[in-house]
Amino acid sequence: MLGYIGRRAYHSIISLIGLLTLVFFLTRLTGDPSALYLPLDSSLEAREAFARLNGLDQPIHVQFLQYLQNLLSLDFGQSLRQNRSAIDVALEAFPATLKLAFVAMTLATALAIVVGALAAARPGSLFDRTAGLVSLAGASTPDFWIAIVGILVFAVGLGILPTSGTGTGLHWIMPIAVLMLRPFGLLVQVVRGTMISALASPYIKTAHAKGMMRRKIIFGHALRNSLLPVITVAGDLATGLINGAVVVETIFGWPGIGKLMIDSIIQRDFAVVQSTILVTAVAIFIVNIAIDLLYVTLDPRIRY
Amino acid sequence: MAIKSVHIVAGAMFLSGLAGHATAQNASEINIVLPEQPANLEPCGTIITNVGQILSRNVVEPLTVIDPANGQATPSLATQWTQTDPNTWRLKLREGVKFQDGAAFDAEAVKYSIERMTGGKVTCSNIAKFGAAKLTVTVVDDLTVEIKSDKPQPILPTLLSVVMVVSPNTPADKAVNDPIGTGPFKLASFTPQTVVLESFDGYWGKKPAITKASYVWRPESSIRAAMVETGEADLTPSIAIQDATNPDTDFAYLNSETTAMRIDAGFAPLDDVRIRKALNLAIDWEGLAQLFGDDVQRASQMVVVGINGHDDKLAPWTFDAEQARALIAEAKAAGVPVDTEIELIGRNGIYPNGTEAMEAMMAMWQDVGLNVKLTMLDVNDWLRYLQKPFPEGRGPNLLQMMHDNNKGDAAFTIPIFYTSEGSYSTVREPALDKEIADAMAATGEDRTTRFKAIFNKVHDELALDIPMFHMIGYTRVGTRLDWKPDITTNSEIPLANIGIKN
Repeated sequence: MLGYIGRRAYHSIISLIGLLTLVFFLTRLTGDPSALYLPLDSSLEAREAFARLNGLDQPIHVQFLQYLQNLLSLDFGQSLRQNRSAIDVALEAFPATLKLAFVAMTLATALAIVVGALAAARPGSLFDRTAGLVSLAGASTPDFWIAIVGILVFAVGLGILPTSGTGTGLHWIMPIAVLMLRPFGLLVQVVRGTMISALASPYIKTAHAKGMMRRKIIFGHALRNSLLPVITVAGDLATGLINGAVVVETIFGWPGIGKLMIDSIIQRDFAVVQSTILVTAVAIFIVNIAIDLLYVTLDPRIRY
Repeated sequence: MAIKSVHIVAGAMFLSGLAGHATAQNASEINIVLPEQPANLEPCGTIITNVGQILSRNVVEPLTVIDPANGQATPSLATQWTQTDPNTWRLKLREGVKFQDGAAFDAEAVKYSIERMTGGKVTCSNIAKFGAAKLTVTVVDDLTVEIKSDKPQPILPTLLSVVMVVSPNTPADKAVNDPIGTGPFKLASFTPQTVVLESFDGYWGKKPAITKASYVWRPESSIRAAMVETGEADLTPSIAIQDATNPDTDFAYLNSETTAMRIDAGFAPLDDVRIRKALNLAIDWEGLAQLFGDDVQRASQMVVVGINGHDDKLAPWTFDAEQARALIAEAKAAGVPVDTEIELIGRNGIYPNGTEAMEAMMAMWQDVGLNVKLTMLDVNDWLRYLQKPFPEGRGPNLLQMMHDNNKGDAAFTIPIFYTSEGSYSTVREPALDKEIADAMAATGEDRTTRFKAIFNKVHDELALDIPMFHMIGYTRVGTRLDWKPDITTNSEIPLANIGIKN
């Protein structure tokens, strides 16, 4: 297992270098930051001085070599926007996203498994049809719309939740609810589909014939064997959330890495873009490893 | 049943324990929600809205302050000023002022602040207002400085309104996020979620009614408006017109911004003045104004009332489609290629209904026979067309733009738009260059008269652009505050001017 993790880490480092190289050149294609950091009526001299001050007057290959050299000494550059270390800016924002994504994903998965399993147990029932409708709506309703309606109803109308921000437990409720809606919707569909297949399997029929309790058959046998595809989809959705719940973070003023990444791209804050990509790529690598390890736990036939 | 009740009560107690998120605050403490996170807290960047609204006249103070009513420089840290020769100004500084870190405010501190600003080691947005001027500061005595410029600066006192004086302990070679000034408030904390300012006991002026101000940022206008409505915040600037629905809390104010279309006069058919006039005449201005709100004002020039050089008597173009068609026909008969495609370049999100305004204007121009095609660009692409050097291979184009001048003088507007060297200018008129240079060197009434003449010439004779509207900003102010926004609100919100109602 350790060998497997080592191999994955080695491949991930190569991918990471490729990714950072690509990001370095792509960000530079967006244009000259001085147009954004200096007032519109700045003189050409002022813009040239800005470029000199930030090393942007050098040819791009020289800038790239400098970047690689700095990486070796773990210098990820300075944020143009915030006047401080870019990696500090990224690492400061990351836990906020991670916490939000973890809670939302855990709740969405747990709820989806229960709802999906119960719906699959009685296909065509009222519960199944209601769950189908709700999950479809959850998977397809735009985040920003739900967020704004949620604020209007629960903050402005009823006055029971804060509009946005962080600080108290109440501040978590709306961002998590909005963030978990889409994963919940998709996962209910996946759980239901795989459970229906599993429940039609011969080993389930055998269990029935042996007189095993229905609850044990559904949750003890069929569900366990249906979880692999669920984990695959949940893993993808989780990495999506880590990569940035941009809309939710923007609307609710949540100081996470998704919003930071988008802001930094728009602001041409190159060092921060690179650092956010680095941090999220490493996190996604760790999530993927964790998913692989979960596979082994759930299905002993899998070996690495 | 009993167990269920216990759960409900416990849940309610838990929720009530979590609640109270925004209510537990002292009556003299306020929360302000801004549209954008400040990029940093460098005092040399206070002309940037999100920095200036927090720092300007709160943490750091300028040498002079512009009176929003008439654009004149009034005392702040400098109390008097005299021009000793065309290139030199002598300033008397305020007595009894100290910095928030205990350092003395004196002539040396002013010299240090100006040299930090002009030294080139810190990215300083404010210095842009000085153009290419080179300044030399000399200490005359403890409370007197002399500022010399390499060329005459008739409006130096006005320019000094962007010189934010910082403690001599501020590093000269790097931008800071922990500014120390002489203002009535000192920085208590700056995190990715909030900036907190607390009143400074050693302030030289009147003690403000507010003791603490916390700033947060939310980009969505509707969320910010809701925050004030629910009491989570006390004040938010720049809400969208559709959110300004409560006459008790929402104030409209002329925000010093003017929207216009720049005509790229370097290409046919736009190099013909008849076509440029036709572009102005073809717009149903009354109809277009519906997209901008009831309080908006028609513009005839690129600066608002109160800016030195604004001409009240200069009338905006009126709608006359027939005359527009006649001018186009006349130009066509004279050999102007009026059928050439003209690119109308808009900027996504420039202001509410900005895209709809472009679509409406395109339709009106097509209606009088011009071949106009709309392209909407994001800000980065749009900037390439706004500023020199312009993109290679561009053709005749009209550029949607918005210009902000709340600095009291048309010197911050006319040169960049209308001189051959102006960074936004597509014009090359040596005679106009000369007139502008003369106006820039003039002082007093003569300066005002010359600026007015230039605005008239640009409008009536040359029709170099299409002034649209002087824009209106909307600010929501909670009912417990006694404060109204004005033309300066886009660049500063002086907390000392905010009162608390009983």
